[in-house]
Amino acid sequence: MTMTQKRRIPRLLQFALVVFGVYFGFILIFDVLLGQLIPRSLLTMYMVFVVSGTLMAFTFTEEGAHELVAPIKALVEDPSRKRLRNAVFVIVPLLAGYYTYTSMSPGYEAPVELRTIHPAPPSKFKAYGKSYNLATLENPLRKYQKEDPAKYRELVKAGGDVYIKNCQYCHGDKLDGKGPYAAGLNPTPINFQDVGTIAQLQESFLFWRIATGGPGLPAEAAPWISSMPVWENFLTEEETWEVILFMYDYTGRQPRSWK
Amino acid sequence: MNRLALLAFCTALFIAGTATAKPGDAAKGKEIYDKRCTWCHGAEGDGTGAAKELLNPPPRDFTSGNYKIKSSSFEDMVPNDDDIFRMIRDGMPGTAMPGWSDVLKEQDMWNLVAYVKTFAGYDTPPAAQVDFGTRVASSDESIAKGRKLYEEGDRCVECHGKSGKGSASKRLKGDAGERTWPRNLTKPWTFVGSSDPKDIFARLSTGIAGTEMPSFADPRSKKKLSIEERWHVANYVASLARTGRKVDAENTVIKADKLEGDLPNTPDDVRWEKTTPTTFYLVPQLIAEERYFKPSNDTLTVRALYNDKMIAMLLEWDDRTRSIPGDEAAEKLADAPIAEDGVAVQLPVAIPKGMEKPYFGMGDAKHAVNIWHWKSGAKDTTESINLANSRGFREIEKRDAARLKANASYRDGTWKVLITRALTTSSPDKDIQFAEGKFIPVAFAAWDGSNNGEKGSKHTMTTWYWLLLKPATGTRPLVAALMVMGLLAGGLLWWARSAKPAV
Repeated sequence: MTMTQKRRIPRLLQFALVVFGVYFGFILIFDVLLGQLIPRSLLTMYMVFVVSGTLMAFTFTEEGAHELVAPIKALVEDPSRKRLRNAVFVIVPLLAGYYTYTSMSPGYEAPVELRTIHPAPPSKFKAYGKSYNLATLENPLRKYQKEDPAKYRELVKAGGDVYIKNCQYCHGDKLDGKGPYAAGLNPTPINFQDVGTIAQLQESFLFWRIATGGPGLPAEAAPWISSMPVWENFLTEEETWEVILFMYDYTGRQPRSWK
Repeated sequence: MNRLALLAFCTALFIAGTATAKPGDAAKGKEIYDKRCTWCHGAEGDGTGAAKELLNPPPRDFTSGNYKIKSSSFEDMVPNDDDIFRMIRDGMPGTAMPGWSDVLKEQDMWNLVAYVKTFAGYDTPPAAQVDFGTRVASSDESIAKGRKLYEEGDRCVECHGKSGKGSASKRLKGDAGERTWPRNLTKPWTFVGSSDPKDIFARLSTGIAGTEMPSFADPRSKKKLSIEERWHVANYVASLARTGRKVDAENTVIKADKLEGDLPNTPDDVRWEKTTPTTFYLVPQLIAEERYFKPSNDTLTVRALYNDKMIAMLLEWDDRTRSIPGDEAAEKLADAPIAEDGVAVQLPVAIPKGMEKPYFGMGDAKHAVNIWHWKSGAKDTTESINLANSRGFREIEKRDAARLKANASYRDGTWKVLITRALTTSSPDKDIQFAEGKFIPVAFAAWDGSNNGEKGSKHTMTTWYWLLLKPATGTRPLVAALMVMGLLAGGLLWWARSAKPAV
């Protein structure tokens, strides 16, 4: 360090700022902004990379490394800082002891289960005693939107009746996933108003999800906990397509298409 | 003096709050109504939307002119615009009516108010309001007075029961002939019009239109109460809340404590009071034929204890009726046909090693579940505990339940059912083997045999939650912590000693 250099934030403090900044950044983005709690184990893994990466960057030159550890060395070696040193020597082992105790004590928190919310659909599936090809399947009623608007309105109304009799208990009157029984379910019902749900999907995907329900999910989506009924047992094929028309109409969203 | 000032301020706020009512445009309200409301309330406002038969309470018939939650005097059926606005904005807890403030603009909601009123031909504001007088703040004294008034001359006890749980002593029905049940006052979070004593005061004063809940402000009533007395009763009712029965969404693990010696063998053993209750929502069975739409049981509270041989689970839920098929009094109260009350515990036969569990609805072809099903018994048969293994709804194998013991009590609107089993059995391929420290999936079901034909597949249920036999902590964490501290402190000291002092 030369005398001409301006005073700046000590390198050790810089290091701490970077590490804690990234840590709280993760928490801010996931837990607060996205409302999606980041699992502790995942966060620990990320932070190991962050700390080692930052350490590498900070110790890239010998001068830098020296500057980083200098305050620590000074703390140990400088007799004028004896009091601070003694305090650090008590606090650090206490903290380490506390961490060891809490991490070794048995936890009573429910295990975190990571499940795929939007699983990749199969290319084919069976429902209503038929086999459907998801790549080519289209809503046979969609054409009336242009060809016969009066008939289309009737179909949407019929779909709404299907929805209110069957779906609102969980997905809600407002299609927002907050029906009267939603709080009793885990995973919670999908919010169709959300731009990340039906607006991103083709009608054929919805048909697959409705007709085969929770038990029709692939293993990565944890079919054993989904409360979605197998609707081919309760609704006709026509009713299923009608309710799909209704869901897009009510939310004002457009289905995705291959074209 | 301060209290008076506060009261004056609150009254001013209240008046200011009611004064914000903006004139709505009924024609614009109709457009919104036709898109959002007809599904339940019907195009003509008479409550005959597609969902009519499937909702409890049924959708409101606006043509009847009955408004249950209102602040105008009991003498006038017409509600304040504000009353309707509030229901549209905030919704009604415990019903299918959601709050609309996140979808509709404020003016849209006022327009709806204007349109909805036309169904009953209401075009003038109410002539008189509820007189709130001077609010009596809640205190031990006020609550004690309220309790006396609540019990005196069967005033409230007749329908809501002494405990407030609404345990039925008579059949109630609404104006449209529908079956209604008295509110369970110990669960204030289920009150449709909020549990603030001021709202309770308003209900006491107006009664609930279209139901058998009368006005206690009506001078012609034998049970009438003065303004001050109504505040005492409101304070007493607000004090009945049993918050332990409220669902805590974070608490999804039933933690069984380990006991030395014998486990409790009755539901009323005092040792249960030291355990942590976990409460779950019960939802109606809507995934398999025959589906069930209008449940009465809404939550189930579970506690568990274990020792080195046995596990005991205590299941508690409020049920307004003890359903005894064949018993004349019980049959009179029940919706025919009456059936037994019941509760069931579902556990996987094999504790899952990874994430994969049996299907929560009675297991699946690959994963069997144990079902412990307790039934309350009929006039001529005693209560019973049954054991079944199932692999889905259709593949159910009834088994000998000799290993299960049950002990139940019904008191004052609450069932308590204690079920015990040995931790391990001689058939590990067919019975769950409980183990300390493992998160074991567990689910529940319940039946109210007096409600709406609840029986068989028509019941309420939960999804998978967890049961944990809390292992004794032991000394290992403490020893390890001390070792880490010692090593670290030693290391630091050694470093300080060996470092050359800076010159």
